[in-house]
Amino acid sequence: MDSKQIEQLLEKYWNCDTSLEEEQQLRAHFRGEVPEQMQEVAEVFRYFDLQKKQQVTHPDFDAEVKKKVKQHRPEGKVIKLVYNYGSIAAGLVVVVAATYFVRQEVRKAYPADVVDTYSDPRLALEETKKALMLISKSFNKAQKEAGRIKVFNEAEEKIQGKSIDDNKESVKI
Amino acid sequence: MNLETFEIRVLPSKNKLFRFAFRLLGSSEEAKDVVQDVMIKVWNGREQMAEIQNMEAWCMRITKNLALDRLRSRQRRATDPIESGMEIKNETLTPHERTEIHENMQRITEMIAALPEKQRQVIHLRDIEGYSYNEICEILELDMNQVKVSLFRARNAVKEKFIKINAYGL
Repeated sequence: MDSKQIEQLLEKYWNCDTSLEEEQQLRAHFRGEVPEQMQEVAEVFRYFDLQKKQQVTHPDFDAEVKKKVKQHRPEGKVIKLVYNYGSIAAGLVVVVAATYFVRQEVRKAYPADVVDTYSDPRLALEETKKALMLISKSFNKAQKEAGRIKVFNEAEEKIQGKSIDDNKESVKI
Repeated sequence: MNLETFEIRVLPSKNKLFRFAFRLLGSSEEAKDVVQDVMIKVWNGREQMAEIQNMEAWCMRITKNLALDRLRSRQRRATDPIESGMEIKNETLTPHERTEIHENMQRITEMIAALPEKQRQVIHLRDIEGYSYNEICEILELDMNQVKVSLFRARNAVKEKFIKINAYGL
């Protein structure tokens, strides 16, 4: 290829109009001897060439990949299921534990007022009876008072009834 | 896919995948890890990949995604030196020539590394690996127009910067 052709091809190359084959030709051309003014361009093409020779530097690469590939087992569904339920169970454990501790804290903060005071059941029964009697007494008392209020209510109703009758009569007139 | 087909269809692409990951990450150790991850990913998903035509382009695409994930997850220090990533094995060169070539190569590496991400990917895939435009579209998940524009910009950046610097010896 003469230098004119090369220049044309280069121009095409910079404009990205070259095909892969033409680029291959350029690369092949610049591998050989080139005139001084083409030296820089040649450098770029030689760079591309050289870069393509770069290889994985790791010596046992293939063996390592094969080993990893062989070790790999497809993910089993059982494992996945166990894993899923495991996470749910773990969540539950956390909630239960949290509730337990919160309850303990609450109990500590508000100690229960009612404590067992009697060890003898008969004594406890007596005391309970006493307490219930006290309550029923109070109830009876309150009922009597309520009876008095009833008298008032009846009186009020009578008065109201009368006044309504009066009104009716006055309308008739 | 059994292990044998895997060895025939996937494993041989390792160097291409490595170079691409290296271009994106700038570290051979990390690039190697990415390629291993890609291989394992391909193996794990081998059932779904039976219908894939261009296995290599598919692997390249996974490489790109994993490398970019890695780039984003690490806060890459701007001062990290860029490895030149190759040894020049030509022993017939004089030490002076060798350093000169090495310097030039290093300069181009740095220049490409300084390009925007998309341009760097496209110029690597086209000018180093020699992929067709269609394949590049497939790998980078871009449309033809974006690929061509990126390549045009990348090539012109190389032309402007590297060739000018050398011409004036700056």
